[in-house]
Amino acid sequence: MTKKLLFGLITITLVALVAVPLCSSSCVPAPAPAKDSIVIGASRPLSGMNAMIGDAAFGPIMTMWEEEVNAAGGIYVADYGKKLPIEYLIYDDATDVGTMVRLTEKLILEDKVDILFSSCGTAFISAQAPIANKYGYVLLTAEGGATIMRDALYGLPYVFISLPFSDHYQLPVFADMLAAKGAKTAYIVSIADLHGVEYSGVAAIEFARVGIDLIASVSVPETQEDFSIIIKDAKAANPDVFCVFGYPPQVLPCTAESMALGFNPKCFIAGPGANFGFYQFTFIEALGPNCVDGVLCFAAANRATSPEFAELYDDLEAIVSPAMLDWWGHPYYAPLVQIWQEAIEETGTLDQDILRDYIATHHFDTILGDTYFEMSGEGGGGLLVKETHPGEIGQWQNGVVEIVGGGPWSNTVITADFIYPKPPWPTP
Amino acid sequence: MDLVTILDIAIGGLLMGGIYALLAMGLSLQYGVARVLNIAHGEFIMLGAFATYTLYTAFGINPLLTLAIVGPIIFIIGFLLHRTLFTRLRISSPSPGAFESRSLLATFGILFIIQNLALIGWGANLRAYSYLNFGVNLGGAIFTANRLVSLGFAIGIGLAFYIFLVRTRMGKAIRAAAQDPATASLMGVNINRVLAICFGLGAVMAGFAGTLLSMRVPINPAMGMNYTIIAIIVIVLGGLGSIPGSFIGGFILGIIGTVVTYIEPSLSLAAYYFIFMLLLLVRPKGILGK
Repeated sequence: MTKKLLFGLITITLVALVAVPLCSSSCVPAPAPAKDSIVIGASRPLSGMNAMIGDAAFGPIMTMWEEEVNAAGGIYVADYGKKLPIEYLIYDDATDVGTMVRLTEKLILEDKVDILFSSCGTAFISAQAPIANKYGYVLLTAEGGATIMRDALYGLPYVFISLPFSDHYQLPVFADMLAAKGAKTAYIVSIADLHGVEYSGVAAIEFARVGIDLIASVSVPETQEDFSIIIKDAKAANPDVFCVFGYPPQVLPCTAESMALGFNPKCFIAGPGANFGFYQFTFIEALGPNCVDGVLCFAAANRATSPEFAELYDDLEAIVSPAMLDWWGHPYYAPLVQIWQEAIEETGTLDQDILRDYIATHHFDTILGDTYFEMSGEGGGGLLVKETHPGEIGQWQNGVVEIVGGGPWSNTVITADFIYPKPPWPTP
Repeated sequence: MDLVTILDIAIGGLLMGGIYALLAMGLSLQYGVARVLNIAHGEFIMLGAFATYTLYTAFGINPLLTLAIVGPIIFIIGFLLHRTLFTRLRISSPSPGAFESRSLLATFGILFIIQNLALIGWGANLRAYSYLNFGVNLGGAIFTANRLVSLGFAIGIGLAFYIFLVRTRMGKAIRAAAQDPATASLMGVNINRVLAICFGLGAVMAGFAGTLLSMRVPINPAMGMNYTIIAIIVIVLGGLGSIPGSFIGGFILGIIGTVVTYIEPSLSLAAYYFIFMLLLLVRPKGILGK
């Protein structure tokens, strides 16, 4: 009897030892894997030439979004069954493409971040896109864009380009605006990098299309700081249209020299640079708030575009100075984080493949209205469709950037008439 | 090419060259006398530029008057750096050669420290202000007033310093230390003090160049390295340790830069390096080098 009891106990114990672990993995629902936050990695130019663009462009949107999301307790991710706050892991690439490439690989391979955010600058996102794509990380690019990137999208299914660029659809709109005003000649100064090559090349094509003669196209190295001889040459050539396709270190001295030398073409466009608040602030002390009136820039929206944009710029101004407002980029970077948030909430996952497919196939209701990406063939990347652009060209008028040019689609909101010729530079 | 274009190029070159000369003079003093090849030289230019920017935009102090504030502050920083760091390195180094390489590495460290402190203090943004930004007509060629004024100040500062070196007792001590520190020390020159003063004065030249530059170009905490490279090219061109050489080298580089910019702007940077290589091959001691 005792033997039988003992045998029964041993059998039950053995069965329990085998069955309980099996049951725990298959019979009872598994607890959600532990996770405390969504880690978003980015290689950003915290120093170097692009730092001022990074700080004023995507930077403020990142800060604002982090505050908003975390104040609400985070983003609900169904896979983890709870709201997860977002946490940034940001490295400084010091505006060096090579460093950015290494840091991007580190973020993906070593830090294993949940989400990858864009680097800053056309040349930078061009280099980052194939890396993100190789490791299957979704990349919604911020500052930058180029025709060669759009062509490469066919082989980059994880890459989505958000910012409008040269022929998508800024310069075609710009050329049509100039043609309508009867402009005949143009002079281009561009920086010797991907951005300058891209814009001067596309501008040459677009100007030729509308019958504007290109008098000169001058390329300058990024270290160039004396622009007087170039501005004098431009002044002697007396073009209707003067273009500076460079960054603030080129845009600001070209503007200052043009003011001092009395070079006042009928149209003066400069960017990226003139689309930021700091462009006006550079001259405001000496020349007053209307110091850069008449200058054109690449810009999408301002406070008059819609109440939502007015609210966006008010919210941004609450966290950054007015010098940091960006009338070209902010209208696109704000939707970009909205897209991330909706994609994560709707799919309930941080799985890059699922997120990629969701972003590629869905329309998003953002500050731009109906927002979606045009996909480049089967298994390619996406380009934010031009019909979402509320504007392409801005002009400083009475101390603010007005939207004076946009594409022929319903989303376009023109906030003021294009003034041509531009008023003379103010005198001190 | 008409007369106005020639004037444009010639005067434009002098305007760039004046600033180059000033910053090269500082480095020439630091390397030629104190034997410190100061890679952080450009960071003192940046400090001068930011100090002026802050004093002008926050307190409304005239940028040219800020020279009187920037000078003493940067001199003290440079002087103390030498008395603490470089004097110790000099004493502990087994040979002058070892000191040169050790101090070179130390200046890399100083570069990163100053640049990152500036990043924390001022942020990475580009800063610019508009001052004396109007045209002045010189025989048909027009130049901005701020560039003409900065050339005047650069020449004035250079001349004052040259007179200081030639006419004063301290100037004599500096020249003696440049020729032979050991002998100068035996003759009663307080060598540590003289070298520290040289280093401090070199930093002041950089700070002054920064002040003058901030009136005409946008500034940011990473701006220094370009100017360090230009200063090195100019002192190689003009001859190490020679004040007139710094001016001649600065003006030559400025004029070459302007000529190349007039012909083909994309080659202006390449032209600087070409001159640098050519000179090292043909006359490594520089134009006025001994």
